[in-house]
Amino acid sequence: MKSIFAFYRGNTPALMGSIIVFTFILLSALAPWIAPYDAEKRVARGHQPPSAEHILGTTRSGKDVLSQVLYAGRISLTVGFASGLIATVIAVLLGVTSAYVGGRVDAFLMFLTNVFLVLPGLPLIVVLAAFLGEVGPLSIALILGLFGWPGGARVMRAQALSIREKEFVTAAEVIGESKWRIVVVEILPNMVSLIVGTFTGAALGAVMGQAALEFIGLGDPNVISWGTMLFWAQNNSALIVGAWWDAIVPGVAIAVFAMGLALLNMGMDQISNPQLKGSKNLKQWKKLNDELQANRKKKQESRKIAGEVVEG
Amino acid sequence: MGGYLSSRLFYYIAAFAVALTFNFLLPRLMPGDPFEIMFAASQGKIQPAQLEVLKEQFGFVSGPWHVQFWEYIKGIFSGDLGPSLIYYPTPVTEIIAGSMPWTLLLAGVSSFISITVGLSLGIFAAYHRGGKLDSIASPGLTLLGAFPQMVSAMLILFLFGLHLDWLPISYGYDPDIDAGWTLEFFLSVASHAALPLLTLVISGLGGWLFLMRNSMINTLGEDYITMGKAKGLSGRRVMVQYAARNAILPVVTAVALNIGFLVAGLLIIEMIFNYPGVGNMMLTAVSGRDYPLLQGLLLTIVGCVLVANFLADLAYLWLDPRLRKS
Repeated sequence: MKSIFAFYRGNTPALMGSIIVFTFILLSALAPWIAPYDAEKRVARGHQPPSAEHILGTTRSGKDVLSQVLYAGRISLTVGFASGLIATVIAVLLGVTSAYVGGRVDAFLMFLTNVFLVLPGLPLIVVLAAFLGEVGPLSIALILGLFGWPGGARVMRAQALSIREKEFVTAAEVIGESKWRIVVVEILPNMVSLIVGTFTGAALGAVMGQAALEFIGLGDPNVISWGTMLFWAQNNSALIVGAWWDAIVPGVAIAVFAMGLALLNMGMDQISNPQLKGSKNLKQWKKLNDELQANRKKKQESRKIAGEVVEG
Repeated sequence: MGGYLSSRLFYYIAAFAVALTFNFLLPRLMPGDPFEIMFAASQGKIQPAQLEVLKEQFGFVSGPWHVQFWEYIKGIFSGDLGPSLIYYPTPVTEIIAGSMPWTLLLAGVSSFISITVGLSLGIFAAYHRGGKLDSIASPGLTLLGAFPQMVSAMLILFLFGLHLDWLPISYGYDPDIDAGWTLEFFLSVASHAALPLLTLVISGLGGWLFLMRNSMINTLGEDYITMGKAKGLSGRRVMVQYAARNAILPVVTAVALNIGFLVAGLLIIEMIFNYPGVGNMMLTAVSGRDYPLLQGLLLTIVGCVLVANFLADLAYLWLDPRLRKS
């Protein structure tokens, strides 16, 4: 409990991001109990504006927007987290292997990473999905995960390389620990904040990617997710006929959730790179540093005097 | 200098080869006859004799894969990407040439505005850290930048295009006006580009500001800045010629890494505003299952992204004299 508290102290982005993300997880998990209507059934006339009965209005086909957006969260969040996980696992595997094995393997893996890094992901994914026909949430998660790793792999490699040079890794090597044990016990625990940061970044990309694919009409239109809600809203010209709630509600849901992930990502960055923290902490650090230096000088001077006394 | 550029060029050639292989393999990995999959949407439009020619051009010849691949590559580098199926018999290259200028217009103007404004704000915010501009604009614009472009495009379209009805929400220019070098046409193009540009600038500004500000803060701690101030140089000179000049390097690197992401946003924004660029054409190709057009668009977009990356490399080289000498 104490460590959780310490983690969030002075890290407002991480705190705000966590609150947003956990609220979304909770709302989606509880959707069957808190959604006022069946999300898939026609419960009123089409395009009813927000009212006491339908807090966020109804869609063109008379479905309750609030219930839909709650249920949609289940699919969108699952796809985002699943593909974030796939991308992170690939990034960690490639990055750490590359850094630790070195040599030709490193050269080859980094070549692969750099090539995929300059390729624009979305157009490739759109063409792939177009050939596959309508892709369900599972395929979307897989595709986005398989395309989402290059940036992470590069950062992982850089971090693993710098940790590899640290004394405690050399010590473990000298003791004769196996390579596996060194990677799992010595290197990976020191990369946790970076791994979590990569995961939130990849999940953020996946949530947006899924919404984009489904919005274009490449997703399965019968699945209720934020992207398909936007697809139907656009198809039914919701904005143009004045039914703004039909398009804005899923849009805002995506935006707020994406913000939450982005804030969490920023918070993780602050942990792996404390320099990014606000100037306030930097001032404290400078003060500490100055004090330290002053102390050192004092010690040196007193030693000098002591030496002179001894010599004398 | 030659070593740096040639190693970068090698990556781009490899990346383009990956895109070519991707296009080649996709129809062949799908269940069924790959040629029929590619040209399914052409039913009845294309003469059988014409289809035979296309079959050869796209490398659907009998023989092992490497022979097919060689035929495919030859077809692509002859500069003919085949006919579009939706707009048959217009060639794919002609359709792309027609939509490319619109996309380049949006990309060029929006980058120019966000780079100049974003960098200036970033420099100023870092130099006057903790000031009014820094404490309001920096976090505010950064948050706006994290907002998904798909959603901000819809909100802007709804607010300025429909609710207030200030500006047009689709097409590149008023179809009642003849295209030509007239003031009327120019104004129509400008007003139609306004909302997509606004969306792009709003989402791009924050990134430039944030990167430049953080890079500047690191640079401002260097000794040569203190030295410059001690020499009695004007604040403006220290800020621009000493700090900003050096702080811009990491910004260029970061932006080069983000080009793919910028392109994705551009494509989506074109789709929402029904703007006649490459992104909207991609949407048309997807919904019409026009695979030759889709593949041609993919190659064009990848090509443009690689060229943009190369330009960023050149800019980096120009900005960093150390690279030029080694």
